[in-house]
Amino acid sequence: MVSSPEKSKSEVGRRNFLKTAVVAGAATTLPDEVSAADSPTQAIKSDAQTKRGLAAPSTEQMNMEASTPDQLAEASSEQLASSNSADTASSFGSDFMIDVMKSLDLDYVFSNPGSSFLGLHESITVYGGNSKPEFITCMHEESAAAMANGYYKAALKPAAIMCHGTVGLQHAAMNIYNAWCDRVPLIAILGNTIDAADRMGGTTWRHSAQDPAAMVRDFTKWDDQPASLQAFAESMVRGWKISTTPPMEPIALTVDSTLQEMKVDDRDGLAIPKFTPSEPPQGERGAVRETAGLLVDAESPVIIADRLARTPEGMSLLVELAELLNAPVIDIASRQNMPTKHYLNQTRQSGRLISQADLILGLEVTDFWGQINSVNRAEMTSEPRVKEGVKLITISVNDLYMKSNYQDFQRYAPVDISISGDAEATLPVLIEEVKEAMSRSRRRTLSQKEKMFRKMHADSFEESRQLAASGWNSSPVSTARMCMELYEQIKTEDWALVSVGASERFVSSWPHRLWDIDEHYRYLGIGAGGGVGYGLPAAVGAALANKELGRFSVNIQCDGDFMYANGALWTAAHHRIPLLTVMHNNRAYAQETMLVQGTANRRKRGVDKAPIGTVIQDPNIDYAKLAEGMGVWSAGPIEDPEDLRPALIDAVKVVKSGYPALVDVVTQMR
Amino acid sequence: MKITDLANTLTFLCLFGAKFAVAQDISIERGEQTYMRVGCYECHGTDGKGNEAGPPLTPDTLPPEAIANFVRFSPGRMPVYPEEILSDAEIADIVAYLESVKPSPDADSIDILRALVSEEN
Ligand code: HEC
Repeated sequence: MVSSPEKSKSEVGRRNFLKTAVVAGAATTLPDEVSAADSPTQAIKSDAQTKRGLAAPSTEQMNMEASTPDQLAEASSEQLASSNSADTASSFGSDFMIDVMKSLDLDYVFSNPGSSFLGLHESITVYGGNSKPEFITCMHEESAAAMANGYYKAALKPAAIMCHGTVGLQHAAMNIYNAWCDRVPLIAILGNTIDAADRMGGTTWRHSAQDPAAMVRDFTKWDDQPASLQAFAESMVRGWKISTTPPMEPIALTVDSTLQEMKVDDRDGLAIPKFTPSEPPQGERGAVRETAGLLVDAESPVIIADRLARTPEGMSLLVELAELLNAPVIDIASRQNMPTKHYLNQTRQSGRLISQADLILGLEVTDFWGQINSVNRAEMTSEPRVKEGVKLITISVNDLYMKSNYQDFQRYAPVDISISGDAEATLPVLIEEVKEAMSRSRRRTLSQKEKMFRKMHADSFEESRQLAASGWNSSPVSTARMCMELYEQIKTEDWALVSVGASERFVSSWPHRLWDIDEHYRYLGIGAGGGVGYGLPAAVGAALANKELGRFSVNIQCDGDFMYANGALWTAAHHRIPLLTVMHNNRAYAQETMLVQGTANRRKRGVDKAPIGTVIQDPNIDYAKLAEGMGVWSAGPIEDPEDLRPALIDAVKVVKSGYPALVDVVTQMR
Repeated sequence: MKITDLANTLTFLCLFGAKFAVAQDISIERGEQTYMRVGCYECHGTDGKGNEAGPPLTPDTLPPEAIANFVRFSPGRMPVYPEEILSDAEIADIVAYLESVKPSPDADSIDILRALVSEEN
């Protein structure tokens, strides 16, 4: 039975709470004043704007929303509950659900409010003190899912989203799919009213389903609709475990609104199961040993890494393996696997290296077939780009879990050795076996390759550096100029490029060509499902994680992607999430312009219509104004590349003072 | 006709003969318009400076005949422009435009790019 807090405790709590509220109020107004006085940039443009954008919060808002996590922790959940309504003596089903979430150390719930999870919403903010988890206000469920995705990749810790099991989930679905394709754990909590007798009128009916998770079952790893609180606890812990075990994937938990509202008389009768993370599966030793022997004997082995580095450890292990063998690495970089400046990072030479390789080792490569074949999309033809007799070996969790309907598992790749196991977890054994198999003389022979690879790396870097100068003064601004001016301003920070949208090729891959990406967290990959509307919210989620980790978050933002989910900027402003967004504003869905162009050329019926339906012009969108309207400091549109540097310098100051900023750069298509 | 147009035209006439150019036919301005209209800019940049989607076409722009040959028959990643949709005269204009584009600065004269050299070494 949950008793109401003791009186004395509750009084102390109330006093503390009031004190906290005062501090919180001060904290709310302070940043504006400080930044206006301290930062010339705020004084230039954003003082008035910040005040306009971040409207003075109400007392309640100050109490709840603007408090720092520490202040909120101080005002503990019981204290907060005791200062509230007369109903505080009761404990609700949703309170227990929050206890379960707290037991898992869940930091954030990304959500847009909805009536099917009112109980949970109230329990998060009131019972739970809006801390662990904190409710992050999102302007679209799709954004919520992308934020949880970005958050995971930066924090390496899952987050939850919360949405209606019907319309909310429909909105969220695309970015749940992006997370699925990206092997990212995500806990989707779906509100629903299962018992028809509990549905009060039209909307409750429209927002209920027999089986909400059916909609995303093809791209979630597991789901459940628990019928009791005890079952909820077990399913939440089980789901968390399943989601975070490689292959990591989203899971969905449908949470009945009646269960959320249920009064709990016997809280002690409910148990929260202990969560023990599963050790990731390791490749079978014999196969790993055989692989090691082949690697040591190979004359021109190539390592391809895609989602190998789940953690920074993955990067260290890959460097160790590559150095042992002096084997070049091609980093597809769905996670940052290999430091860009390492001489064995030969990604730019992939075509040549793959075609000459006598052994190719794929580490968590989703599309291995696509690496060993070249395709001509227009002609719909393909041919192998490897030489005959090449040994092909893969280590991945690809075969351990997948579903049939959505085809992101890619074309079947015939290989010689296929090791089912998490590559990061398998590398220590592989390294051990390679050391074992390597004679002194072999090591000496292999070490002679170092000079050649150093030269190849340097040549390729120099080629990129020369190319970056081409169009340096162009207007629209070249993507090289935009990326390099940006890098110049952030390189002395502990920076992280948290998003480049659906493909880094949209900015001609300049970060990977010329930036010193030396840490796992400096690059988080792309929106893996290719669904547009990932970039900005994923960046905001990652920046939220980086805020606590003290990293400076940067987002290169494509304009088309921005317009899907620009409300995420407001979330960044509202939650004071420092994030520098630089718009790659080429005023087009440029990839599509090119593809339509290719189709038109092939059909020879006119080649001047490709921009119809693919450009975002007439009128041009003023992204700086949009940002300003959401309380975000902004500059642009910048057409003269000379204006870029001063704007970025100002923007960096704003971000370092704890706020988001956006610089709109009118760019070349790529 | 501008002086630069005339100079370009004379160069063409000297080098490539009548198939690609008669003096009054070549125009940098029209070349730029065609370059934009048929979508070369999408992959090669508005001033032909290139990027990952298409290599730079300037400086050292190929002669019109070589460009015509490439855009009509390229077996690679570039969409082809057969003669029916891009005439020799239009290609000559495009070449004139590309040749008129101001050259980019040298990488070593750009502070940010110069700084990368010490970083790499
Ligand atoms: C959809 C993208 C695209 C469009 C549109 C396009 N190109 Fe290309 N172009 C390319 C690519 C990619 C290459 C490199 C081809 C390769 O390596 O096979 C290329 C290569 C070239 C080359 C050879 C350059 C060299 O130095 O080897 C020329 C010349 C060229 N393009 C001219 C043009 C012209 C003129 C137009 C407009 C009429 C045009 N391109 C339109 C993508 C494009």
